[in-house]
Amino acid sequence: MRKLLAQPASGQRVSICLLAIALVLYPLVFSDAFYRDIGVTFLLAAISASAWNIVGGYAGQVSVGHSMFFGLGAYTPLLLYTLWGWPPLAGIPVGILLSIGLAIIIGLPTFRLSGHYFSMATIAVAELIRIFVGTWALVGGAIGLQGPALARGWWDLTFRGDLPYYYIFLAVLALVLAVTFVLEQRRFGYYLRAIKSSERAARSLGVPVRRTKLQALALSAAFAAMAGSLYGVKTGFIDPDSGFGILVSVQMVIFAALGGAGTLFGPLIGALILVPLQTAANTWFGGGGSGATFVIYGGIIVLIARFEPGGLFDLWRRLAPLLRRRAHAA
Amino acid sequence: MLLEARNVSKAFGDFRAVAGADIAVEQGEIVGLIGPNGAGKSTFFNCLAGDTLPTTGRILFDGVDVTRAPPEAHARAGIGRTFQVPTTFDDMSVLANVMVGAFLRRPHRNDAREHARRIVELTGLRADQPARSLGTPSRKRLEIARVLASGPRLLLLDESLAGLTPGELPEAIALVRRIHRMGVTIVIVEHIMEVIMTLTRRVLVFNQGRVIASGTPEQVVRDEAVIEAYLGRGARRPRE
Repeated sequence: MRKLLAQPASGQRVSICLLAIALVLYPLVFSDAFYRDIGVTFLLAAISASAWNIVGGYAGQVSVGHSMFFGLGAYTPLLLYTLWGWPPLAGIPVGILLSIGLAIIIGLPTFRLSGHYFSMATIAVAELIRIFVGTWALVGGAIGLQGPALARGWWDLTFRGDLPYYYIFLAVLALVLAVTFVLEQRRFGYYLRAIKSSERAARSLGVPVRRTKLQALALSAAFAAMAGSLYGVKTGFIDPDSGFGILVSVQMVIFAALGGAGTLFGPLIGALILVPLQTAANTWFGGGGSGATFVIYGGIIVLIARFEPGGLFDLWRRLAPLLRRRAHAA
Repeated sequence: MLLEARNVSKAFGDFRAVAGADIAVEQGEIVGLIGPNGAGKSTFFNCLAGDTLPTTGRILFDGVDVTRAPPEAHARAGIGRTFQVPTTFDDMSVLANVMVGAFLRRPHRNDAREHARRIVELTGLRADQPARSLGTPSRKRLEIARVLASGPRLLLLDESLAGLTPGELPEAIALVRRIHRMGVTIVIVEHIMEVIMTLTRRVLVFNQGRVIASGTPEQVVRDEAVIEAYLGRGARRPRE
């Protein structure tokens, strides 16, 4: 265990600690509702992107349909509340289990495809689910579902301010990152990176490629569903677009890719940059802001794909030694 | 018999890349597989490694039918292979590449890392170097290290020594010898006759998808059919 902790370089460990402290203190320093809301949005984005990162980043299986898991996670607790008055806290695990089941059902046929074909298939499935949910009266159709308006107890996870949500989300983010970190160090993590690099070579070395990819997708789906359920419970409301919409999937991909897909903190860094930017765009452009978001995303996709496929993390890894050398010289 | 392939064929549409090929390899042998470009050696190799499903024929490994088994099952059974075009895991270090192989029989990270370190040392690579920064000969060496770490009983080497300079060859040949001495049976596809001559005592010559000659390297290079396959009909005819 000590070896495990000693692994990141000491400089890196210091920055991780600083980041953790900053995240814990943030809502206490910025107590304004506006800033706390940005904080919660950032954490949610970081959780989603980190969840996507397990299968999309480490294993290189670029799903653009992760909204199916997010949406299922968001809908399930609210549906169980609407139907039978279940507390959201009990509905969340059900949503996670359903997402794992969906991941296996979707993964079995789609993992026969590779590269762009896999991405296209995931988009298609997520869109089908979105359209289906939008016409199904039981789950609220196009209008969607609502959660408890007033908390019957803490298990309803319905709080007045953002502060409790902030710390719940922060704990979940820490959980996702811890699980990812541990897996990264184990055989599973090595296998994922080998699969990303060359499935053919991985199989020739005895890597059970399909099983490993399915496990990665199931885990990724579980965390994406957790993110979705947190979103649904916090907002107290979910509709087909905010649950299953393609923008939900695209955001996960972009946040992770900008920071660095397949790195532990890449998705978090991506969210750290993009969430404030998105909020600023919404503030500047008002109602038309969501359109501007698309434009910004499009631009980012082009820039990453053209110049930095490894994301900012990779860029930093290459630049840091050069900068250090220059600092030494000066 | 460790490996036995009978009447293996592989057709791509109308084209039969492998057309009724046989091979039998005893435990502990080094067998050479030579033949002109396009003779079907690599396709045959892929059939043996489970990468390509043969159209007809049977492949037995240690008496077990592995014809339709997927490549990962071949690896588990003990058939290791390298690729003609090296496919290293470029985002990973040399050591991590080799660890992926080592994990097959050593699921725990520290065991796998220890084992991988020994193999990396044996093959003369540098553990912490990123695989991306290696040249083609080193990549081929890394492929050998990686598959060696997975503990194969039979190693299929597909032109692993191609592209080496004459100065680098002796070291590479010594490496193959060392692997052989570790008890690994080897089938080697190679164009460089020096490699075949020094390493193997038995050679199969492939042409148009089947074995046209076999014997010691010295016998094979004098074989009429072999000369014809390489140089074309009439190559032996005295000049007028």
